[in-house]
Amino acid sequence: MKMIKTLASSSIITMALSVVFTATLLAQTPKLNDAEVASVAVTANQIDINYATVAKAKSKNVDILKFAETMSNDHKAVIAQAVALVTKLKVTPKDNAVSKKLMADAEVTKKTLLSKSGKAFDKAYIDNEVAYHKAVIGAVEGLLIPSSKNAELKALLEKVVPALKVHLSHAEMVQMKFK
Amino acid sequence: MSKYYICFAFVVFLFASCFSVKEKPKAYTVEIKNMKFVPDDITVKQGDTIIWVNHDMMAHDVTEEGSKQWTSSIIPSGGSWKMGVTAAANYYCSIHVVMKGKIRLQ
Ligand SMILES: [Cu+2]
Repeated sequence: MKMIKTLASSSIITMALSVVFTATLLAQTPKLNDAEVASVAVTANQIDINYATVAKAKSKNVDILKFAETMSNDHKAVIAQAVALVTKLKVTPKDNAVSKKLMADAEVTKKTLLSKSGKAFDKAYIDNEVAYHKAVIGAVEGLLIPSSKNAELKALLEKVVPALKVHLSHAEMVQMKFK
Repeated sequence: MSKYYICFAFVVFLFASCFSVKEKPKAYTVEIKNMKFVPDDITVKQGDTIIWVNHDMMAHDVTEEGSKQWTSSIIPSGGSWKMGVTAAANYYCSIHVVMKGKIRLQ
């Protein structure tokens, strides 16, 4: 009984773990081809847009709402560039183990977020944004960039890294207010 | 008495206008690329203009940081914004609040 209660209240730990598992999976995955890299890139961006959509619907905090709006707009811009590039290169993004795992983990996290409200939601959202951006930066630098063969795809991914890092700093700044 | 005074004032004015050949205002460019203002610290004279050009794939803005005295509003990807400088300022991107820049007056 006590065990169950502990498990229920540890949803935030579950969220954090799922990010860590994702990072571990990414680190262990064999190299992807360009179609798979494109799919992972689009999925990773789409996940952060989905989180932002939840935040915009649930939060009343100005900093959270502003951050979520930025995430939504910026990650949409990245997807637009990625889609334009794969269209030009005539590459069709291909679903793979990494993108599937990312999406599955994100669904779990999204459920956890949806179960919270008020300040607890705001804190959970921004904590997840910090963890998620760290994991994605790790994945882009450690897996996607080294995997991509096409120079333009590689260049696009390299151009996204500074944006992810600025998002991370911004998230950490907002997170400080919830300590 | 007043005639001499006017005369004197006129001569002073002529002199002054001869020697104060004002430097033409200059135009400076600050590029916004890889989520940074480049250069992020610029020294200009009052009356010079600065144009910010956004090379990033995301939108940015240029906003006075202290009391938000002025702002470019959203500069879309590929867009730019020009301002005549009247005062020194610390500025930032209010969309990506960690992006900062500085204007100094010479
Ligand atoms: Cu982001």
